[in-house]
Amino acid sequence: MSAAVSALSAVPVLSVLSALPALPLQFADALFEFLAPSTLGEVIVRGLAEASLYVMIAAGLTLVFGLMGVLNFAHGSLTMLGAYLGGLVLVITVAQSTGGVGRLLAFGAAVVVAFGGLAALGGALEVGLVRPIYDRPPLYQILLTFGVTLVLDELARIVVLFYGLQPTTVWQDVLGTKPAFLADSIGVAGVSASGLELFHVLFGVATVVGVHLFLTRTRYGLFVRAGSEDSEMLSALGVDVNRVFTVVFALGTGIAGAAGVLLAWDPAWGASVPLGAETLLPAFVVVIVGGLGTFRGTVVAALIVGLVDSTMTWWFQNVVSFTGLPEMVVFLVLVITLIVKPQGLYGVSEVGGH
Amino acid sequence: MSADADADAGADAGADGAPLLAVDGIQTYYGDSHVLEGVDLEVREGEVVALMGRNGVGKTTTLRSVLQLTPPREGSIRYRGEELVGRETHEVADRGVGWIPEDRRMFAQLTVEENVRVAVPNADDTAAALELAFETFPDLEERREANAGDLSGGQQQMLAIARGLVGDNDLLLVDEPSEGLAPLVVEAVAEALTAAAADTSMLLVEQNLPLALDVADRFYVLDHGTVVDEGDTDDVSADAERLRRYLSA
Repeated sequence: MSAAVSALSAVPVLSVLSALPALPLQFADALFEFLAPSTLGEVIVRGLAEASLYVMIAAGLTLVFGLMGVLNFAHGSLTMLGAYLGGLVLVITVAQSTGGVGRLLAFGAAVVVAFGGLAALGGALEVGLVRPIYDRPPLYQILLTFGVTLVLDELARIVVLFYGLQPTTVWQDVLGTKPAFLADSIGVAGVSASGLELFHVLFGVATVVGVHLFLTRTRYGLFVRAGSEDSEMLSALGVDVNRVFTVVFALGTGIAGAAGVLLAWDPAWGASVPLGAETLLPAFVVVIVGGLGTFRGTVVAALIVGLVDSTMTWWFQNVVSFTGLPEMVVFLVLVITLIVKPQGLYGVSEVGGH
Repeated sequence: MSADADADAGADAGADGAPLLAVDGIQTYYGDSHVLEGVDLEVREGEVVALMGRNGVGKTTTLRSVLQLTPPREGSIRYRGEELVGRETHEVADRGVGWIPEDRRMFAQLTVEENVRVAVPNADDTAAALELAFETFPDLEERREANAGDLSGGQQQMLAIARGLVGDNDLLLVDEPSEGLAPLVVEAVAEALTAAAADTSMLLVEQNLPLALDVADRFYVLDHGTVVDEGDTDDVSADAERLRRYLSA
């Protein structure tokens, strides 16, 4: 019998066939392990942490598109600038002896500086470059913002090189300013999660709540939602739509800057010039899956993409060893959405004020 | 005219019977299409003026020109003596010119209440504005939390009028308010417009001749982008044929 099995194994196809009965068993074992509360909890926390990052990098993009109909290709580069600007604040303010609370305060200061700096830059870009071409076809806005990306990336590369840093690798000094407890694992009810993941979740939730309150509880938010539907009617009601556009563009780029600071502390991303391109792609995936221009859609899409990503990462790391696949799954979510619901989860066929 | 003279004219407008709105020889285009070929008209304080004519003669374009949504290339539009041409639309609205557009232009994903709120120039006046809107149209109060996109056509028209009423406007530009509505709803709309006319001047585009003659004090008839007839509605009520030849297809 054993000789017969050995003979079968010598033929590759037959060896696969002989292994087939074992696959369902292996799958069942893996499923059992996946559904164990501790594993599932860890996957969910990791998914929520990823969703938080996705929502941070996509929120500004969707706000700007929803109101103005402008697809801002420079959004990723603005995130990258936020990472460097926030990183600079962290490197300057955090010393070796700074304690955990001090480092968190420094992070808060970095977020304020990055948000403010990027909001000011975004406002200036809107007034100086984007406003004159609102009435042109969308291709003009895409080309313009793509051009801005090239300029910003090249400027960042020059400045970073000038200060002796390698632009394509992560700025390690910033990673070093992270409090030690964020690198530790924290166990709650048998679920273990890293402090950084929980920090991401907190930051993401705060951002979502903040933007939601702005949109639903403030008069300016009301103008933004109205302008997203019909900016011409809004102006005929006495609202200076141009000013609303500038404020939203500034807010969107400010959030991108804050997201950059968060990424600067994450070793999987980090402050580097390619961060712009690395964040732009998932941001577009999330915005398109959610439905172009809807904030609610962006939040739901970020949750879906984050949870699918963390689930697939677990399966492809623990069951099928093929680490490149989880990244592909994110784009699979995009493809399936476009086939099943081309306008996205909450999208309408037409958005934008122009 | 100097800025001072402008201000003087503005101060005098209305008090001495000078027009609230004076449109003078405006030429308006959509791209290369020449739509208004020298329209002249005026609305005096307290007046309701009907603007009539067949489809496509430039009635809506005239309203859009006043609002600077489709600015005229030539001619003048003065409101309380002040030139509007060259101003932004929101600046025209800020001066007290309201718009109740032809296709209602609801913010469909906003609630009824939010649609009213957005039209109130000063946030402090919101409570009073909501009270006015819901007093005028009790149907809307029942649906104040509903999305405007879920309202019936009649309710949407009521909401569009309510937005115009709460906007603290001295002049309302009203475009086809009865279009596509059931007769009972048209009655309610006519009542609301008549009530609004007590303290607001109006330039009313309306194809429903009985409604227009009922609500308006004077009329203009547009044809091929220019005014071809004008007068008091009292004069034509007994001579409806004078208008029908311009209005029938």
